[in-house]
Amino acid sequence: MSRFPPSLRGLGVVLLGLCFGATASAGNLVVVAGASSPAPKLNTEQVSAIFMGTSKTFPNGEKAVPVDQAVGSPVYAQFYNQVAGRSESQIKAYWSRMIFTGKGTPPQDAGDAAAVKKLLAANPNLVGYIDASQLDGSVKVLAEIK
Amino acid sequence: MNKYSNAVLRGALTACAGLSLLPSVVRAEDMSFSWSGFAQLTAAKVLSGSNNTYAQWQCPCTIQNWEYVGVYEKWRGWQADQESLIGLQGTLKFNDRFSATAQVLSRPNNDNYKPSIDWAYVSYNLNDSWTLQAGRKRIPLYYYSDFLYIGTAYPWVRPAPDVYGWPIYAYDGANVAYSGSVFGGWTLDANIWAGSFDFKNSPYDTQIYYGGVPTQERWRDIVGAYATLSNGEWSGRVMVMNFKNDQITHNLDGSLTTNLDGYNTTIMGLSLNYDGRNNVIVRSELNQFKQSVSGSKYDYYLLGVGYKLSDWTAMYTISHYKATSNAPYVEGRKTQSVALRYDLNKNWALKAQYDDSKDETNQPFFGNSKLLSFSVQTSF
Repeated sequence: MSRFPPSLRGLGVVLLGLCFGATASAGNLVVVAGASSPAPKLNTEQVSAIFMGTSKTFPNGEKAVPVDQAVGSPVYAQFYNQVAGRSESQIKAYWSRMIFTGKGTPPQDAGDAAAVKKLLAANPNLVGYIDASQLDGSVKVLAEIK
Repeated sequence: MNKYSNAVLRGALTACAGLSLLPSVVRAEDMSFSWSGFAQLTAAKVLSGSNNTYAQWQCPCTIQNWEYVGVYEKWRGWQADQESLIGLQGTLKFNDRFSATAQVLSRPNNDNYKPSIDWAYVSYNLNDSWTLQAGRKRIPLYYYSDFLYIGTAYPWVRPAPDVYGWPIYAYDGANVAYSGSVFGGWTLDANIWAGSFDFKNSPYDTQIYYGGVPTQERWRDIVGAYATLSNGEWSGRVMVMNFKNDQITHNLDGSLTTNLDGYNTTIMGLSLNYDGRNNVIVRSELNQFKQSVSGSKYDYYLLGVGYKLSDWTAMYTISHYKATSNAPYVEGRKTQSVALRYDLNKNWALKAQYDDSKDETNQPFFGNSKLLSFSVQTSF
C-alpha cells in the first residue's frame, strides 16, 4: 500500500465505500406469485425465459404471465442485471426488436412492489419480483435472485 | 426543406393525435390499442475517396443504404437527409389471440418524406408457441433485416451495407412462427414464410443500376425459413429462401426489356452472435445469393468484435461482398469500420462511426471512400 501516495489511498477508501454502499442499498430480490398460485419453484434460467418472453408457461405447464416493476426503477435495473446480465438499455433494445418484428411485447409495467403484490393476489398465473423485505403472506417465493 | 419539415411534422402530429384518440374509440371489452415508434437523425460526411462520377452521383461518394438508396457525396459536405427517418407502429389487439399491426416509415430521401408502409399484418396466436401472420412484413433474410431501422437494437450507426442490400425487402404473404424453450437455457425462434412482392421503380434498380430508366422487379413464389437458437449469450441463426426473380425495364420507345425471366434464386444466410456477460460482443454473418440462368452469385460477410463498458460500446467490423455472373462484370467492396455507441438512457443512443471502404468493382462504380457518421437514435 505504501507504493500509493496518501491521496490515492484516500480515493481507494472512498471508492470501496461507494461500492459497499451501493451493494448494501440493493437488497435481495425474490420472484413471487400469489399465495394461492400453483406455480412451482423456478431456477434463474426459467425466470429469465419467462420475463424475456421466450417461455409462456411455468415448468408445470401452467400459463405464466410476467409483470414488471416500474421501468427505470432501481429494482427493475437490478432484476434484469442479475437475471439476464443485461442493462436497462439492452433490455429496452431487446424489446424494441421484438415489438417491431411482431414477435412479442414486454411484461406489463405494474408499478411498485405493493402494486405487484396486489395484482399477483388476484391472478394465479402472474409472476413478479419484489425486494425480499417486502415479502408478506399475500405472495409465495418461486425463486431467490442472487 | 422547411416546407417538407413542416409537412412531416404536421403529418406526425396528426398521426399521433389520431393514434391517441383511437383507444377511446375502440375500447371495447377486450380490445386495446398501443403504439410505439423509432427514429434516427443521422448526419454523415465523406472525408475522401475516388474522384469519378457514377450514375447521378459526383464522387467521392458512398452508398450506405441500398433499399431506398442513401448516398453521401463529398461535395455536399455534411448531409442529414440520406438515412434519417421516423417510424410509427400501431397495434390493435382484438383479444388475447388476435391483433392487427401497421408500421409507417417516413424519410427525407424517400420522395420527400412520403410515408411507406413496410408492415401491415394480422397476427393470430394458435397457442403459446405458434403464431400465424398474414399481410405485409419485412423479409427476415439476415439477422438484422427485419429490424434494419431500429437503431437502438444494434451497436453500429447502420448494419454493414455490404451485407444489407437488395431491391426487395418486404413480402406480401403469410408466415408461421414458433418460439419456445427447447432444452436447458436454450430457446428456439423459427419462422416459415411464403409470398411475393412486386416493386415498380425500386430505387435500387432504377437509380443505381438503370440510370433512371423505369424498372419493375418481382420476387414471386417466395418460400423461406429461418431458425435461431439462443441462450442469452450465444445466438446462432440459419436461413434459406427460394424465389423466382422477374425484372423488366421500360425503354424510352415504349418497349419492354426482360432482364430476368423468373430465374430461380436461392439466398442462404448463417449468423453467429455472442453477447457475453464478460461484456465482449461478436457479430458474424455469412451469406450467399445464387441465381440460375443469369449465373449471378453474391458472397458476402460481416465480422464484428466489440466491447461494452457501462453505457459505452465500441465495435470494430469488417465486411465484404463480391458479385459475379455470366457477364464479365464483377462488383465488390470491402469495408472496415469503427463504431462507438453511448446509451444516453434506455430510449436514446448516440453513435459515431468511421468507415473505410475499398471498391473492388471492375467498372466505374461508387469507388473508394472514407466516411464519418454521427447518429442520434431512439425507440419509444
